Amino acid sequence: MQQMQTRKKQRGPFHTMLPFWLILPTVLVLLAIQVYPALYTIWLSLHERQPQGWEYVGVNNFVRLFGMGVFGESVGHTIVFLVGYTSLTLVLGFIIALLLNRKLKLSGLYVTLLFIPWIIADIIVGIVFRLLVVPDYGLLAGFLQNPAIFPPNGISVLTATRPPSWFGGFPFPPALAMIYLIMASAWRALPFITLLLLAAMQTVSTEVIESSRIDGANGWQVVRRIMIPLMLPTLVVALFSLTLGGMNGVGMVFSLTGGGPGSATEVLSYLLYVLGWSQLNFGRAAALAMLIAVVNWILILGTLRVTRVEERTH
Amino acid sequence: MFGVSRRRLNIWLVNLALVVICIFALIPVVTTVVISFKGERDIIRKPPNFLPCDTPTSAFDPTACRWSVEGYQRVLSPKPSAGGLLPYALTGNIVRVYIPNSFLYATSTALIVVSLAGMSGYAFSRYRFRGRQALLFSILAITGVPLLTNLLALYQMGVVIRKAQLPFYDDRLFLVAVYTGFFLPLSVWIAKGFFDAIPRELEEAAVIDGCSPFGALWRISMPLALPGLMAVFLLTFVNVWNEFIAGYLLIAKNEFKPAMFGLYEFLGQNIINLQVVAAACILIALPIVVLFIFARRSFFAAMVEGAIKG
Repeated sequence: MQQMQTRKKQRGPFHTMLPFWLILPTVLVLLAIQVYPALYTIWLSLHERQPQGWEYVGVNNFVRLFGMGVFGESVGHTIVFLVGYTSLTLVLGFIIALLLNRKLKLSGLYVTLLFIPWIIADIIVGIVFRLLVVPDYGLLAGFLQNPAIFPPNGISVLTATRPPSWFGGFPFPPALAMIYLIMASAWRALPFITLLLLAAMQTVSTEVIESSRIDGANGWQVVRRIMIPLMLPTLVVALFSLTLGGMNGVGMVFSLTGGGPGSATEVLSYLLYVLGWSQLNFGRAAALAMLIAVVNWILILGTLRVTRVEERTH
Repeated sequence: MFGVSRRRLNIWLVNLALVVICIFALIPVVTTVVISFKGERDIIRKPPNFLPCDTPTSAFDPTACRWSVEGYQRVLSPKPSAGGLLPYALTGNIVRVYIPNSFLYATSTALIVVSLAGMSGYAFSRYRFRGRQALLFSILAITGVPLLTNLLALYQMGVVIRKAQLPFYDDRLFLVAVYTGFFLPLSVWIAKGFFDAIPRELEEAAVIDGCSPFGALWRISMPLALPGLMAVFLLTFVNVWNEFIAGYLLIAKNEFKPAMFGLYEFLGQNIINLQVVAAACILIALPIVVLFIFARRSFFAAMVEGAIKG
């Protein structure tokens, strides 16, 4: 290696600069498409569009955003969505990973089949789940809308309004559409989380598990006392990545519920679209984008910390 | 226990559970395929029936199924044409406009991402230079940034560039640049991982034998890294194909919007005609699912490199 270095120096500036030239295009693209827009968003959040141009308004956009009733409501919807989505996906993903962790002849086939939902676009997943429950014509609608099975009137997933709240203004219990949105999102995220957890599970040494078995631990105790503690970093990474995806994913809301019924599934990501592109309220939308970005960055830096990234940049 | 050991029984139960889970995972897909082959008469029936195979006398008669390709016909809307290669021209907007657009965006983005990620992944894997750690760390951090929060600024940038009326410029270039910027960071990590796995002694030997460092990269490492770069290409292709919100918001003209927008527009136009919507979904998702099934090793390799190790 040392030899290579000295040889390169003799070959002139192009070759010593080779790594620089190789990386330059990537850095330029990332500066233009990632860094500049992120800074621009900060600028936008402090300005308001006027007929004659942009006017500096300081934190007014944030103040007005917090003053909007829909903002508080959306925060509530987002919390309900994220709690439901992350817990459902993690629990199911863990169980499926436990099943796949046995050495089975058909593992490859199962993984391929289970992975198909992951490859399908969120817009399409939303439509597919919507087709099942379209009022009157959806395949499940006939069963769900039957008053004999669900008294008194049967249930209609996409149009039922939210039941009265248990805690003041907080949207819990959620509307059926929200529960359905959580199920559809979990369906799409499950394969990835399952594979992530399976990879971590396979690093848990079988000797530890077998010796605890000999000491009389049952299956649940092995999971609870050995697997979960050893897999904790991966579980945290999975939780953060699900939260990040759930917080910023908007396609499924578009095609499955459109934010409705009423505003029952209007999460923050969808509110950003509504403020920015339906109401053309750029300042407030930029303020909201800033808030979401701050949460994103907390999650990203948390993930990097948990995975101890310094060890892998070598 | 019926003459089978407890262990064998356990394995059977695990298999059974996994089969049930696979069935559940695929039910939404299967129902969409079934819906897409129904005729309008069976779609608007109340209460709905899963298979269009009932007759007045029996609940299920496989010989009397009323399968129909009406949904596909209405998506493709074939019209007789005289001059073309085929006797019919497909005039539906989804196949005539939106799918070709998506194909263009996905292919060009994937090609650009592969070349950029290949170059920088190689440099990060092979060279030690000042600022390398910080740069790698920043790229890893950016990997997690979702598109959504930058969309407002990107939209505004798009408006400004459009007003400048540059020659040869249209929104499509901007969209490809945006997609490149968003799918590049992960790809750099994946590419670096693949290069890390190639022994550097091979290149050193080539350099000692008189090859230039660039020649060593091009002639020795690139062919060995080809499976990895293929994985980056496929992953980027699928990501761009499946992306909705940027394609919807950053492109002004409908004729340049991608397939996911076409599908969303279609959903609004066909509220009752579920078979048409289902057929459109199948037509857009099928190429990707087939690609995945044939190249699944590539996808899993990229995922292990990018998401699980990285």
